Amino acid sequence: MALKAPVLAALLLLVAAVGSGVSADGLVNEEVKKTVDLSSHLAKMTAEIVLSNQGHTGVQSFILAVEADLAPHLAYIGASVKGDEEEDGMLELQQTSIQGQRGEFYRVQLPSTLSAGAQLMVKVEMTFSHVLKPFPTQITQAERQLVVFQGNHYLFSPYPTRSQTTRVRLATKTVETYTKLGNPTKTDEFIEYGPFRDVAPFSEDAMKLHFENNSPFLTISRITRIIEVSHWGNIAVEETVDLRHTGAALKGPFSRYDYQRQSDSGISSVKSFKTILPASAQDVYYRDEIGNISTSHLQVLDDSVEVEVRPRFPLFGGWKTHYIIGYNLPSYEYLYTLGDQYALKMRLVDHVYDDQVIDSMTVKIILPEGARNIHVDTPYKIDRMPNQLHYTYLDTFGRPVLIASKNNLVEQHIQDVVVHYNFNKILMLQEPLLVVGAFYILFFTVIIYVRLDFAITKDPAAEVRMKVASITEQVLTLVNKRLGLYRHMDEVVNRYKQSRDTGALNSGRKTLEADHRALTNEISSLQARLKAEGSDLADKVGEVQKLDGQVKELVCRSCQEAERLVAGKVKKEAYIESEKTLTSKRQELVSRIDSLLDAL
Amino acid sequence: MEARSVPIIGFEVSGHPVLSGKESQDGRPWMMEEGFRFNYRSTHHLTTNGFYEFLNWFDERAWYPLGRIVGGTVYPGLMVTAGLIHYVLNLLHITVHIRDVCVFLAPVFSGLTAISTFLLTRELWNQGAGLLAACFIAIVPGYISRSVAGSFDNEGIAIFALQFTYYLWVKSVKTGSVFWTIGCCLCYFYMVSAWGGYVFIINLIPLHVFVLLLMQRYSKRVYIAYSTFYIVGLVLSMQIPFVGFQPIRTSEHMAAAGVFALLQAYAFLQYLKDRLTRQEFQTLFFLGVSLAAGVVFLTVIYLTYTGYIAPWSGRFYSLWDTGYAKIHIPIIASVSEHQPTTWVSFFFDLHILVCTFPAGLWFCIKNINDERVFVALYAISAVYFAGVMVRLMLTLTPVVCMLSAVAFSSVFEHYMGDDTKREKPPLEDSSDEDDKRNSGNLYDKAGKVRKHVSEQEKAEEGLGPNIKSIVTMLMLMLLMMFAVHCTWVTSNAYSSPSVVLASYNHDGTRNILDDFREAYYWLRQNTDEHARVMSWWDYGYQIAGMANRTTLVDNNTWNNSHIALVGKAMSSNETAAYKIMRSLDVDYVLIIFGGVIGYSGDDINKFLWMVRIAEGEHPKDIRESDYFTPQGEFRVDKAGSPTLLNCLMYKMSYYRFGEMQLDFRTPPGFDRTRNAEIGNKDISFKHLEEAFTSEHWLVRIYKVKNLDNREPLDHKLRSVVPKQKYTSKKTAKRKRGHIKNKLSLRKGKKLQKK
Repeated sequence: MALKAPVLAALLLLVAAVGSGVSADGLVNEEVKKTVDLSSHLAKMTAEIVLSNQGHTGVQSFILAVEADLAPHLAYIGASVKGDEEEDGMLELQQTSIQGQRGEFYRVQLPSTLSAGAQLMVKVEMTFSHVLKPFPTQITQAERQLVVFQGNHYLFSPYPTRSQTTRVRLATKTVETYTKLGNPTKTDEFIEYGPFRDVAPFSEDAMKLHFENNSPFLTISRITRIIEVSHWGNIAVEETVDLRHTGAALKGPFSRYDYQRQSDSGISSVKSFKTILPASAQDVYYRDEIGNISTSHLQVLDDSVEVEVRPRFPLFGGWKTHYIIGYNLPSYEYLYTLGDQYALKMRLVDHVYDDQVIDSMTVKIILPEGARNIHVDTPYKIDRMPNQLHYTYLDTFGRPVLIASKNNLVEQHIQDVVVHYNFNKILMLQEPLLVVGAFYILFFTVIIYVRLDFAITKDPAAEVRMKVASITEQVLTLVNKRLGLYRHMDEVVNRYKQSRDTGALNSGRKTLEADHRALTNEISSLQARLKAEGSDLADKVGEVQKLDGQVKELVCRSCQEAERLVAGKVKKEAYIESEKTLTSKRQELVSRIDSLLDAL
Repeated sequence: MEARSVPIIGFEVSGHPVLSGKESQDGRPWMMEEGFRFNYRSTHHLTTNGFYEFLNWFDERAWYPLGRIVGGTVYPGLMVTAGLIHYVLNLLHITVHIRDVCVFLAPVFSGLTAISTFLLTRELWNQGAGLLAACFIAIVPGYISRSVAGSFDNEGIAIFALQFTYYLWVKSVKTGSVFWTIGCCLCYFYMVSAWGGYVFIINLIPLHVFVLLLMQRYSKRVYIAYSTFYIVGLVLSMQIPFVGFQPIRTSEHMAAAGVFALLQAYAFLQYLKDRLTRQEFQTLFFLGVSLAAGVVFLTVIYLTYTGYIAPWSGRFYSLWDTGYAKIHIPIIASVSEHQPTTWVSFFFDLHILVCTFPAGLWFCIKNINDERVFVALYAISAVYFAGVMVRLMLTLTPVVCMLSAVAFSSVFEHYMGDDTKREKPPLEDSSDEDDKRNSGNLYDKAGKVRKHVSEQEKAEEGLGPNIKSIVTMLMLMLLMMFAVHCTWVTSNAYSSPSVVLASYNHDGTRNILDDFREAYYWLRQNTDEHARVMSWWDYGYQIAGMANRTTLVDNNTWNNSHIALVGKAMSSNETAAYKIMRSLDVDYVLIIFGGVIGYSGDDINKFLWMVRIAEGEHPKDIRESDYFTPQGEFRVDKAGSPTLLNCLMYKMSYYRFGEMQLDFRTPPGFDRTRNAEIGNKDISFKHLEEAFTSEHWLVRIYKVKNLDNREPLDHKLRSVVPKQKYTSKKTAKRKRGHIKNKLSLRKGKKLQKK
């Protein structure tokens, strides 16, 4: 080992020389304006670099570098050309490595060749998560949160830099300590370093800032986003979010009294935040395992739907919470179709809160049952997992589920993903037909069961009994109807007594006669059928018929009496007297008929 | 046909809170009842781990450190029903969450209850009465409380099982067929698996048989029905683990066995009667009966004495003697559901039915037959039990509905003839009235009870159309008022969950006080997964369900001494409580404090029960009288007893409350619930620390601190007096000498003797 070490060192040196040779081939950072924004819980680094090619040949690409200490926290890196035409074109990045140098390197393809001697202004953007470390790591409710940031005063670059300024933006004016390289100036929450002249490539100089930052240190430790596409016009989105306050942890008791009475108590805690949903979002719900979270508010704006997400309790340092938010979207805004081909264009990850940090994300896209030839275009690299099947209402062979996951995401990752697939439109009918079929089978079984006789034994007596029962039923209704006729006749007579309209009476009588005859005939025929069945009920029906004849007579008599009364042939008292006897007789007969019918 | 729509009405009414809940942005408020929590947790366990795992489930998260054998101490019917429905639906790829099954189980079963009530009433009276009874049970508040969506209680499905068992029993007594009896046994088995109230069935049916024997109504049908029922039902009921051998070993079940023996003897004597002469028979009868009675009586006494048959349990004693629980089992008496029923709650739960059902009972007794004997016994016993305990109102409700339906149906039959349509006054178009109208028409056709023309004519003679219409109107008015009352009760009393409180501002907007869930969710998210939470038992199921943390005591109050220990910790001073809490490994203490918002159901108001229960087990340490003022009042202000002002519960409730001024009209530390300024404003803790307090201070959670490395003394070290300074006043002669380092006695201080 002892022998090998110098050899290695020598090798490294050699490689370094080669590496610097790369920069020697021409590119120089003419002027660098580096800005570090530490006002939130993210470190956002932007640098405006004037690149000049001092070599002899044109250059197609250049290299961006990230310090080794910061590289694991790098969430996003992007570069664009800042031209005169005011149009920033995003450049394509590709990770590469430089031998002998620690850190991460990205090769940026320039839109056009940078010819020798030419200059180009490039804007680089990097976002780092979890680089602001709370210090002290535990605070009480009354204390303010202090954080430490460790970075680089210079721009970490493989090219020499002619001139550079660094400007740091802090969250508050309060700063405990900061490194004083080159006598920086501090105004309010800004610290300006530099200008530095002629900085060598790969130069690092530790910048350490210790300052107050009470902005919400919210981190989504886990988010699962489920997008369920239905071809019946709906896209359901559901996000399951695990949230944690990653700032300085709360030490000691939480006093609600202080929290309510003192405005600066628990200043770094999170009460609520805003989530912006798509403008067409409907049926928004916000809940957790134990039900709806009643402390939220929804505001529908012109271009978005804003949900004020308020966790059940304020989040102090180290506290966490968990919730589910979901909504429906109309599919015509996100689903494009051409014949059998479909394309779903949706955001891979959506806004949860401003300056969001997602440690780990899983996206599940559930396509309709029968989707084939699935092909996904993602805006950035993302880990795909094998597809699964999902079964829900009326599914037979399952819906394909695309699953993908990615770690360390920030706001810049809110971009669209496109899923292409083929779907046969006939399959849309599958589920309704399934329901129809199920009901068909159900009703059909019921029909078969009711119509066919599954009894093991035959019972002829029961059949006869049923037949007789049905006939008696008919007899009963007919007899009742007949009795009804009499009552109707009574009414006619009564009316006649008042109006003295003989015509009405006669016509009433005529209809009575006709109806009565028809009914009596019907009953007689039923009686004959009963006899044919060999039932002794036939006799009873015969008796009923006989009694009924008497009733009929009585009715006719009362009718005649009424006529005579109207004609003045009888006195009123006599009429009433006779009417009374008639009624009582009739009553008696009817009750006898009734008792006979009851016996049927 | 209309019979089929009644369950739907029942479902609609029961589901009403769900719908209104959805409208009011406060989705799913219904699943927050305590009973729901535990049952849901068990059902969830059942569906995730399978049936056998559920039967063997030992819940180590409740009753810490004892744990609870859940599988053997629950009636599994409810969970199995829900689990089965969930399983079948998922088999058909209807992917309903088990929670939704649980939420909607009660309304579905209320529909089934309506159907079985219809069937039972039809057997007792006629179809019209059956229909009315089904309408009543669908909306009556006494049952709505158990059938609202989200009430996932044993009682919900048990009432269906109860009614259906009775229907099948009546049917089997009527027909004497083994088929119906076996059906009855199966339904009884379901009832046993669902609710402890099965004891009601196993005592009522023997009573019915016994009374039939007394009334000389013995028949082969009764013999077949009861013999089959008793044997098969007994064997089936012993299959439930929680019931086990109870049916042959406890006094509650002995009546059934006695009646079974009696019935056999009676049947045997009947048989002999046919074979022997009258004289022989009489001697044999007396000899046999007296011998048999003596043997049975002595056997029962002997078995009870030797311990084979357990005597009546305390809960059953409290059914006979309402004062029993108050003296012997304060834990039962502390539950509001176990209090004797007030007249108000009779009216509240049954409304007009409570007045009409004696009439129905009278109609039944007037035209008595075998099954009407049954319903009369049912009514009388249920009325008694409902009077003893509010909770047993539930068993009274179905029979009240049935008998009221009989009364109403008879009245309508009498006063509403065929001419209904003509005389019917125009009514509001409420669905209830529609049903009434339809059912009125229905008698004639489907019931096959034909209106006799003659009767009508007679009636017309006796009662003028005016009287008829007035009576009909009055009856319909009553029914309408009943429907209005039911709707009102459902929407107001039973649709707001106890966990989410709502208050209304002056302008009518609603404020939701979601403090319980706030605190429970905090516990769930921000405490250790195995943290043990001490609270009064009322909140045990809620903590287990919503916070998913280990509890010491919960709503299944099976271990009185454990509860008493918690009560003792709450009512002791901090140091003594700390010892208890350390011995129980308590990490957090959760209390409910309503002083800020004026919530009356808080722990200070329940505090005397804690003291009483603690006193029952630890009479030396806790005395109820210490918590009263000398005048015998329970006060939290300055005049309150010092023991109260320094006990743990008081301190936890009012910690830092003394600084809080709620109103400009009241002094700081003014308790709104008890309308008093608190007596001890200077509260500090040595062993506890405030961990969380919800937004309206309703729930306060304290963390129990670990022991310090070394406890600092709270007083200065005793200064040792140098020996030299000691001079005896005695003369040198009389000096007898003194002991070195002898403890010196000081006035006013007690020497610690241990």
